[in-house]
Amino acid sequence: MTDLFAPLLNDLAILARPALFNIYFAFASIPIGFVLAIFMALGKASRNALVSSLCRGYIYAFRGSPFFIQLFMFYSLALAFNLSLWKPLGIDGIVLNPLVLGPAILALNTTAYSAEIFYGALMTVPRGEVEAARAFGMTRSQQFRSVVWPHLIRLAWPAYTNEVVFLFHATALVYFTLPVIDDQKDLMNMAGELFEKDYNAVLHFSAAALYFLAISLAIFLVFGLVYRHLTRHMPGAVPLRFRMNRS
Amino acid sequence: MLDILPQWMKDGIGDDLLFWLGYFTNGKHLTWYASVQYTLAAALFGALTALVMGLAGAALRNARFGPARLVGALYINMVRGVPDVLFFLFFPLAFEQLVELIRAQAVCTPEGLAANAGQWPPCDAANWFLGTPEYLALACVSLGIVYGAFAASVISGAMNAVPRGQLEAARAFGFSRAQVLWRFHIRQMWIYALPGLSNVWMLIIKATSLLSLLQIADIVLWADRLGAPNFTRSAGLVHPDWRWGYYLVLLVFYILVTFLSEKVFAAVTRWAGRGMSVANPA
Repeated sequence: MTDLFAPLLNDLAILARPALFNIYFAFASIPIGFVLAIFMALGKASRNALVSSLCRGYIYAFRGSPFFIQLFMFYSLALAFNLSLWKPLGIDGIVLNPLVLGPAILALNTTAYSAEIFYGALMTVPRGEVEAARAFGMTRSQQFRSVVWPHLIRLAWPAYTNEVVFLFHATALVYFTLPVIDDQKDLMNMAGELFEKDYNAVLHFSAAALYFLAISLAIFLVFGLVYRHLTRHMPGAVPLRFRMNRS
Repeated sequence: MLDILPQWMKDGIGDDLLFWLGYFTNGKHLTWYASVQYTLAAALFGALTALVMGLAGAALRNARFGPARLVGALYINMVRGVPDVLFFLFFPLAFEQLVELIRAQAVCTPEGLAANAGQWPPCDAANWFLGTPEYLALACVSLGIVYGAFAASVISGAMNAVPRGQLEAARAFGFSRAQVLWRFHIRQMWIYALPGLSNVWMLIIKATSLLSLLQIADIVLWADRLGAPNFTRSAGLVHPDWRWGYYLVLLVFYILVTFLSEKVFAAVTRWAGRGMSVANPA
C-alpha cells in the first residue's frame, strides 16, 4: 500500500512549492479585482450615460473573450512598449515581470466578472430600504455604507465565491503565456516537467489536480465561513453551495 | 490573390491600400483565416459532446439507483474542481498512452521492449502518431467531458424545475413512465435549462482558444506566427512585433461570436418557451 502511494506523496511534495505560485497569483489579484469591481459595478449602474456605457463595454469585452487571449494580448502589448516606454523609464524589470504582469491581467479579468456579479446584486437591493434611508436624511455615502453595501455584499457573496474559485483555476493559464523565470514554476509547469521525465501522465496530472481540488475546497470553506458571518442575522439562511455561474 | 482584381480597380484604390490588401490576403494570412474552421469545429462538436455527457450526467445524478447517483455527483464535482486546461491537456495524453499500451500488447517484440525500457511508448512499433484531426477529435471529447459536467448540473437542476403538477397530470392521463419522461419531462426541461446551457456554450467558445496547446495550428497559433517580428536577411526587418494587434483581432472575434451566440440563444429561448407559461424564462 505504501509503495502504491509513495510516488503520489513524492509528487505532492515536489508540487508544494509550485502551488504557492498559483496561490500567489490568486491572492495578488483578488483584492485589486474586488475593489475595482465594486467601482465598476457602481459605474455600470451610474446615471451618467458615458460612465455607464464605458463600464458596460469593459465588462462585456472582458467577459466575452477568453482569458487566454487576454493574457497574450496584454503581454504582447507590454512587450511592444518595452523599448519606447518601460526601458527609458527604467521600469521594464517591473512591468515585464510575470509576478507583476500576471496578477495585473488576472485582476483586469476578474474585475469584469465580479463587477457583473456585484451589479446584479446592486439591482436587487430592496428599493424601500434605500428610500427609507433617504427619508431619514442620510447622505449618499451614508446610504451606501449602512444600507446598500450590507445588502450588496450578502447577495453577491455566493456567486463571488464561485468567481474566486474560477479565478484560481485561471491562474493555471498564466505560465502558458508569460515567461517562466528560473524556478518560478507553477503547478502546470511542474506537472508538465515531471511528465516529460517519465511519461506518467496519470500520476503527475492527478497530483496537480489534487492541489487544485484541495485549494478550491479551502476557498469554499473560508468563503462559506464569511458567508455565515454575513447572514448571521437571517433565520434559515441557505448555506453556500458549489454552483456554476462563470460565463 | 490580388491578381483577380481588374486594372481599373487597382488604379482606383491607390498603391498604399493595394499593398495592405495584398499583405492581408497573402498565403499565410489566408491560412490564418482558414484555421477558424478548427475553432468552430471544436466548439460545435465539443458542445454536442457536452450536451450528450450532460444528459447522461443528469440522468445519473437523478437516478433512483444509489451508486449511480454517487457516480453522477462525483463526475459533476470532480471535473469542476480542477481547471479546464489541466483536463484539456491530460485527457488527450492519457488516451494516447492507453491506445499505445493496448497496441503494445499486440505488436511489441521482446527486443523492442528492451530497447525502449523506461521510456514511452513501450516499443517504437506501438507509437501512435497524432495529427491535427486526431488531436481535434480528442480536444472535442475533452471539452465535452469537462463542460458536460457543467451541462449535467444545469440539466439536473432544470429537470427538478419542471412543475410536478404537469407530470402528475400526464400520469393521470395514463401515459407510461417512459412517455412521461420523454414527452413531458424532457420536453419541458429545455426552457429551464436554456439560460444555463447558454452559459456553458459561452464557456466552450472561450475554451476553444486553448486548441493551440494541443499542437493544432488554430487562429491563436497563427496570430502568434504572423505577428512575431519578421526579419529576413534580404529585406531586413519587415515588421516589428505586431502580435498585440493580431491578438486584438482575436479578442474582437471572440466578442463578436459571444454577441451572436447571445442573439441566437435569445431567439431559441423565445421559440422553446412558446405556449408555455414560464414567468421571465431568461
